[in-house]
Amino acid sequence: MTLFGFDVGSRAAKCFNSDTGEVEIVDSHDWRSILPDGHEIISTGYFRKEVPNIFNLTEITAAIYGVSYLLDQEVDVILDIGGQDTKVIDTTTNEFRMNDRCSAGTGTFLEFIAGYLGLTLAEMGRLHFQAKCAAEINSTCSVFAHTEAISRLVEGHSKAEVVKGIHLAFARKIAQMMPPDSYTIALIGGTAKNPGVVDAFSNVLEAKIIVPENPQIVNAVGAVQYFMQKGL
Amino acid sequence: MAIVGITALVPPEIVYASGNIPVDINNFVPRSGVVPRDKLCAWTALWRDLTLMGRIKLDKLVVVAGGDCNNALVDGEKIELSGVDTHYFTYPFDGSAKIMRHEIDKLVEFLGGELDESVFNRVTELKSAATAVDSERVSMHINSQDAFEIMVSGSDLAGSLEDYRKMIDSVVKKRVDCDFRLALLGTPPIYDGFHEFLDSLGLHIVYDEMPYEFLRLRGDTVKSISESYADYSFARNITHRIKLLKSELKQRGVEGIIHFHQFACHHKLEDPILREALCAEGYPFITIEADLPSKTPQQTRLRIEAFKERLGDL
Repeated sequence: MTLFGFDVGSRAAKCFNSDTGEVEIVDSHDWRSILPDGHEIISTGYFRKEVPNIFNLTEITAAIYGVSYLLDQEVDVILDIGGQDTKVIDTTTNEFRMNDRCSAGTGTFLEFIAGYLGLTLAEMGRLHFQAKCAAEINSTCSVFAHTEAISRLVEGHSKAEVVKGIHLAFARKIAQMMPPDSYTIALIGGTAKNPGVVDAFSNVLEAKIIVPENPQIVNAVGAVQYFMQKGL
Repeated sequence: MAIVGITALVPPEIVYASGNIPVDINNFVPRSGVVPRDKLCAWTALWRDLTLMGRIKLDKLVVVAGGDCNNALVDGEKIELSGVDTHYFTYPFDGSAKIMRHEIDKLVEFLGGELDESVFNRVTELKSAATAVDSERVSMHINSQDAFEIMVSGSDLAGSLEDYRKMIDSVVKKRVDCDFRLALLGTPPIYDGFHEFLDSLGLHIVYDEMPYEFLRLRGDTVKSISESYADYSFARNITHRIKLLKSELKQRGVEGIIHFHQFACHHKLEDPILREALCAEGYPFITIEADLPSKTPQQTRLRIEAFKERLGDL
């Protein structure tokens, strides 16, 4: 029987077939539409207990096992930027931190700003590299950053410069959560598909940023790996 | 006999000995179902609103205005402005028994000036009985939730010495199985049933920092009460508190620490200090921040479950 890793987060549901490596991704509200019938499911993510499963685990542990399996090098820190929260996992001490009851430093923050600018997240990523400079955005509160973005546009900055400023503010916010001695960082979660965000992290953090080939499915892969490696 | 509201730890033996009844008004907060009008800390904002709404009936109020809870002062003043006879009580930061005695003397005066000191022994006896419950919990014979309920009620002894005795006597002893023994440091959780949730995960709390302070501090004379309460660790400097914590964590065989704090509480600023000091002793450490009262939210549950998984992988 095939094992499936099934990760349902706050924004997207990801299904990973451990035999074929095939992946399906849908909006998290539609997770039932990609539920494999008659197979053994290892679930993770916020909705892990809602999904019919033979075993479930948190996405923090799944991320550790997923990164370890998918990357051919060890990292000091795993940075998982989700829709609702951001997790910083220190693989050297086994500790983790999460942002608290605030969308700053999460995918929701970028979605909020993208919505105001009338852009998709993919367009945000492309525009980032067209900016001649970065507009100064100091606040990481979604509401205040929104206000700052308006001010910068009024002052004559282009959308691209505002986008780059937003990405840098986003990276600076998350940098506050990073443990010292973070030299290699695995960046995972859907937000890691935005090259502008990756570039901002490279600028803000003095560290090597490694993004797995498909950063959104790391936790689904890790769920299966945990199950297999523990011999459950 | 007046109902005397207390906003944080105020020596309940003094209030009882003065012929009055202490009521810890924080106990109304977790199940209040009220959203505060304006707030920093939800605890102080909610006991303020509940009192102003008439849902907490008080004759007098003692506000802990220095040491421990720094948000209580102005919310206490708002209650005073509504007409409630209010007194402000302050703990000495340096642990001075002389200053504590002065504060307790002022409190006695506010409460009527007379003390029946025979009450002190009755309170001490009850605190000893509640401490025995704590010990039974440490030796895995009482679950975290039941022990917590008794210990946290030690701030006002349930508003009745007789009721508190019944509460202690009714606790059910039963062998507890758990996966990990944890300490809960910081502010008691504003989430209703948080200990029950931990119990359900196989996480047994063997040290509730603040509720243990409610029982640890005691005395049979005004002098010894002053000396004891001068050592209230939450009001003292952080170095003193860490020394006490290290001793308790070791004695109780703690395997991991949950530091619980409240949004907009100055104790939140202590988190990195505690984390550094206690991680250096080898204790895995997780911080949980809460705001409004509710059942334990999913995001917090996720963190605790992940913490358990990490403990299992160590």
